[in-house]
Amino acid sequence: MQGFPGPLPDLAQLQSTMVAIERACSLIQMHMNPAEAEKIINPLRQSSMPYQTCRFILENSEVPNARFQAAGAIGDAAIREWGMLTNENRKSLILFCLHYVMEHASAADAYVQLKVSAVAAQLVKRGWFDFIEAEKIGILIEVKQAILGFHGSDMQSAGISFLESLVSEFSPGTSTGMGLPKDYHEQCHSSMELNYLKEFYCWAKSAALNVADKIVSCYANISEEKVCSRALRFMFQVLNWNFKSSPSALDNSSSKSNSGSFGIRPDMGLLKKFERSLVEPGPLWHDALLSSGHMLWLLNFYAIVRQKHSSDMLWFDSPLAVSARQLIVQLCSLTGTIFPSDDGEMHIKHLTQILSAVIEWVEPPNIISGALRSGRSESEMIDGFHALLSMATLTGTMLFDNLLRSLRPFGTIHLLATLTCEVVQTYVIKNDDEQTWSSEALDIMLEIWTVILGRSGNDMKISAEGISSASNLFSTIVESHLKAAAESAFEDDSEADYFHVSVSRRDETLYAYALIARAAVETTVPFLTRLFSERFALLSQNNERMDPTQTLEELYWLLLITGHVLTDSGEGETVLVPEAIQDGFSGVTEELQHPVIVLSWSIISFAKQSLDPKMRNAYFSPRLMEAVIWFLARWVDTYLMPIDAAKGQLGISGHDEGLQQHPQSSKKVLLSFAGQHSQGETILDTIIRISMTTLTSYPGENELQALTCWKLLVVLVRRRHVCIHLVALESWRDLARAFANERTLFSLNARLQRSLAETLVCAASSFKDLETSNQYVRDLMGPMTAYLVDISSRNDLKAVAQQADAIYMVVSCLLERLRGASRATQPRTQKSIFEMGCAVMNSLLTLLELYKNQSTVVYLILKFVVDFVEGEVAFLSAKETSILVNFCLQLLRIYSSHNIGKISLSLSTSLQSEAQTEKYKDLRALLQLLTNICSKDLVDFSSFSDEAESTDIAEVIYVGLHIVTPLISLELLKYPKLSCDYFALISHLLEVYPEKVAQLNKEAFDHIVRTLDFGVCHQDVDIVDKCLRAVNALASYHYKEKIAGKEGLGAKAMSSEESNGEFQQSILSYFLRLLIQLLLYQDFRMELAGSAADALFPLVLCEQDLYQRLVQEILEKQSNPAIKTRLASAFYALTSTNQLSSSLDRNNRFRFRKNLQVFLIEVSGFMRII
Amino acid sequence: MTVIVYQKWTVHVFSPIENPTPRHSRYLWVQNPLPRSAPRLLFRVPASFLASAPLPPRSAIMSDEEHHFESKADAGASKTYPQQAGTIRKNGYIVIKNRPCKVVEVSTSKTGKHGHAKCHFVAIDIFNAKKLEDIVPSSHNCDVPHVTRTDYQLIDISEDGFVSLLTENGNTKDDLRLPTDETLLAQIKDGFAEGKDLVVTVMSAMGEEQICALKDIGPK
Repeated sequence: MQGFPGPLPDLAQLQSTMVAIERACSLIQMHMNPAEAEKIINPLRQSSMPYQTCRFILENSEVPNARFQAAGAIGDAAIREWGMLTNENRKSLILFCLHYVMEHASAADAYVQLKVSAVAAQLVKRGWFDFIEAEKIGILIEVKQAILGFHGSDMQSAGISFLESLVSEFSPGTSTGMGLPKDYHEQCHSSMELNYLKEFYCWAKSAALNVADKIVSCYANISEEKVCSRALRFMFQVLNWNFKSSPSALDNSSSKSNSGSFGIRPDMGLLKKFERSLVEPGPLWHDALLSSGHMLWLLNFYAIVRQKHSSDMLWFDSPLAVSARQLIVQLCSLTGTIFPSDDGEMHIKHLTQILSAVIEWVEPPNIISGALRSGRSESEMIDGFHALLSMATLTGTMLFDNLLRSLRPFGTIHLLATLTCEVVQTYVIKNDDEQTWSSEALDIMLEIWTVILGRSGNDMKISAEGISSASNLFSTIVESHLKAAAESAFEDDSEADYFHVSVSRRDETLYAYALIARAAVETTVPFLTRLFSERFALLSQNNERMDPTQTLEELYWLLLITGHVLTDSGEGETVLVPEAIQDGFSGVTEELQHPVIVLSWSIISFAKQSLDPKMRNAYFSPRLMEAVIWFLARWVDTYLMPIDAAKGQLGISGHDEGLQQHPQSSKKVLLSFAGQHSQGETILDTIIRISMTTLTSYPGENELQALTCWKLLVVLVRRRHVCIHLVALESWRDLARAFANERTLFSLNARLQRSLAETLVCAASSFKDLETSNQYVRDLMGPMTAYLVDISSRNDLKAVAQQADAIYMVVSCLLERLRGASRATQPRTQKSIFEMGCAVMNSLLTLLELYKNQSTVVYLILKFVVDFVEGEVAFLSAKETSILVNFCLQLLRIYSSHNIGKISLSLSTSLQSEAQTEKYKDLRALLQLLTNICSKDLVDFSSFSDEAESTDIAEVIYVGLHIVTPLISLELLKYPKLSCDYFALISHLLEVYPEKVAQLNKEAFDHIVRTLDFGVCHQDVDIVDKCLRAVNALASYHYKEKIAGKEGLGAKAMSSEESNGEFQQSILSYFLRLLIQLLLYQDFRMELAGSAADALFPLVLCEQDLYQRLVQEILEKQSNPAIKTRLASAFYALTSTNQLSSSLDRNNRFRFRKNLQVFLIEVSGFMRII
Repeated sequence: MTVIVYQKWTVHVFSPIENPTPRHSRYLWVQNPLPRSAPRLLFRVPASFLASAPLPPRSAIMSDEEHHFESKADAGASKTYPQQAGTIRKNGYIVIKNRPCKVVEVSTSKTGKHGHAKCHFVAIDIFNAKKLEDIVPSSHNCDVPHVTRTDYQLIDISEDGFVSLLTENGNTKDDLRLPTDETLLAQIKDGFAEGKDLVVTVMSAMGEEQICALKDIGPK
């Protein structure tokens, strides 16, 4: 071949190399001595100009693996030596590969051919901008001819597979590394999209058309069928291309105007759940995809072939069927400017056309699912569902429903409901392992429902037919799930390991069910009420004769679904009554007739039964109780004394009642039945008594008690106007009394103690005057502090403390409670909480000394102090601050004296690592403590400050830091949370008090700088950001002081020269070098650009000479002249544009930020190699 | 109310029935909560549980500590104390197979959907580092060892592998062996040979003792 590169060795040598490679390959294949085989193969890949040898092997070797290796070697060598090859050489290499693939198209061992064509694709991409257009066409014309079928079907397949490699090579996500800058890949991507992609698509289309006739008329042989499926697969691949050229800004505005009036609405991201995306190729593709009848042909083709193979169950999974369906589904997601702006008419036609074909795949539902049960593959139905999901995503609810009306007497939603019924029924049976498709299908179905029902306002209007389908669907769902629940009631609860995962997944499913129920709220809520009362009545009549377990499990499930239907989860948000429920039931005016109220009452009165010990023992199992508590928590949050009603009443009282419109009266009834002036208080009382019961009568049921403390009680004290009623209730006082003075609640586990204390203290916010609030807290917490003080002042404390388990346990319990209380600190209770803290300060120090070896107690003490300081520090007067700060320093000293230089020894590695973790947690608490004290300087609400007594916070922190830093090793900084806290503290200190750093002793300063150095190179963006801020603070401080003629960091900026091997230069110049290195050569993240600019600017100003030298160095190292000039001008622009001057004011910093942004964008293209 | 007998089943150890105590049940459907295949045994109530209440008596928190402490001082002889299984957390201590252990993993499950919670403990013997497991109904009491740690100054290391320690009241304690593990041994011996002032922490539980930590208190 003309121009084939490399010297031609003599035949004997070629032979011997080939034999050697073949032997090596067989060694690999037999897993014998792979290292030695590698030693033989690698030289071939790395040798210079191995092309002739490789070609010889490719053409002559009998061993496919050897041919594979030879092809790889060609690719590696050519990419490496690209600069040395002439244009002629390059082309002949590519053509050689192409011809090889074509000639061996029918040969066995397809992976060799695939590799060769991948190599060809790589080389084409490498030379994409070296070849002139005619040369590229010259290469591609051969491929085109092959694909169009001039040389037989094997060549066709080979050509298509070359295009496949080419397209995947040109998509940035799947390209191979070539040692080229990133923007080379970007340019290739857009050049391909603009010039060739559509053409390729059309080639594949005509290849498919060519053979399609034969396939339809059954004359096709296997290889022709293969061509067809490959062509379709390739077209699918092309439609997966990440289209960039379509102007998306324009696109958005036009589609918005569409969505308003005609129901076409693209929702990006909704398809992401199933790893699919919308296809937006832009107007250029209109003729290829839409106007040429392509779609119709494809649909017909699939329908006809499907008809022929209707008896063949395996056909649905054949490559041809799969790729055709994939293409159809992908075309269904077509959107954007490819459709002309004709009010969505074209788009609707397109969707209807696809729907008319897809409906055959899923209809009639019962027959399809029957066929699936008897062994037919589910893939076609699943693809059909995916197509429906695409349609639901792209259209408004009304339009979606209407799409089917031209084809069937009912709307799409009706079809969807029937399909979902079928899927749910199969899903809940679940006893058959082979029916796994039902879970996938259900996922897609529920996603469709969420898409069409989860919208708000005008987009979500459903026809009456749709509503009744939803209602039927919901009944089916509930009935099948109840059946399944009853059947599974005796199973062991074995999912403990995946408990929380399965709960969140279950909630997702239930949420989708609830949306369906809310679509038909008028029928579904009474339906739920009926089911619930039936089960309830069954239990009351039972009289202990039969095992109630099945009914309990049904009730459990009913409580869950009812909770989801009636309320939204609203994590952290203010929860409102769901819109559908507020707006529904327009005819109801009587409270006792409102279905939601009836349902709520029946559940509350059921829950009330748990107060009766006999009923509780008989029926309220821990699991059922969990559901009750969960339901009550959500219900209370939504319906009990709702905010709307409170506001509404204020408004109404001024107006005439008669002015209220009729449709709103049902809403008013709903919102006020559990309001402040009706039964709200009674319900509240019941709920508190139920909580009390779960805390005392279900010992050891952690899950249940956690739900009570973390969900239900927390909700009760969240809103102030509920609290007002709460604290007035006798039941609440009972709870507080039990907590303060009795031992019953000690049996709760420690974390629940904390949360209970927090909740109880929180309720104090409801009292109108300050003194009552504080007195409430004192009454609550007084007994705890008195007890702690009492123990710690005992003479024989040392003797009893270790043995006396009761003390040890009670101490932990009390510490948790104190911690909980201090977490609930609010301005109005601040005073009493501070008294509480002061009262135990000395006791805590004694206990810390005493329990120095009980890591759990130590940790509890530290955490209490952390929370205490966090809550209190902002409010304290100067005197109080100094008390607090002295206490904290004492605490730090005691802790440090016990722990510094301590090595724990253990036989077991896991116990050893536990010990390490405990240490890390302690240190983290200490750092948090310092950070919290620090905040005193920023946020200070104390009323007056007395200069004489005020403490210098900075002083304190540095003393604290002196104590704590020796405990922190670089090893410990690998714990992400610890290092995050540490660097937050350091950067804060350096920013706020840089002058104090200058006073630090050398050892401490070195330690800080060492850790900063460690932090700048960290992976975590947050930490790097904090370190950059710290560096910025250091350098700015130094620069400003210098300008003012002072010393600045002075000796510290220089002195480490002789002492430390690592920091040869001054600290600032070290950081300057490090930062520039980071910006230029490493995978720098743009979100850090701002803080990097802030740090770099003062550094450059401090060390101008060094900066110039560095830039010179970098430029000289660059060998490529083009890159060199670009780099030089980028550096020039960085410091000289935008009127940058050498002062450190805000404007200048801002300009420098902009400059650096530009610099990074410019440089990252050609400095970062992919 | 129905009276039933509490049941406990254990993965490794089948404890002998010491003290079958009939207690009142709170639920009816516990009657047969266990899978049929699970070994069933009567629950063993630890002697210490009967001897002393785990918590100060009602209203003791405020007024009655005096009495309470004295009773505890007597009970100091007991090596373990009872604690409700549900409140034992990771990193706490527990007795399994009559060995003091540190809990490294707790998981809960239920005996049948509507049964009671039970806790599954994975724990490591604090002296010999062996892994042990146990399953206990979470409302029942577990034995928890008293684990104490005491600091002593190291005075001498004898030829035969014993250490000589200085106690707080000026006596010496000579009955403790050096750890057998090579690296730990080296750390102590080397430190001592270099003339450092070493303080060792001795962990003791259920009658066993072991050096568990080392600290250099000498001037820097």
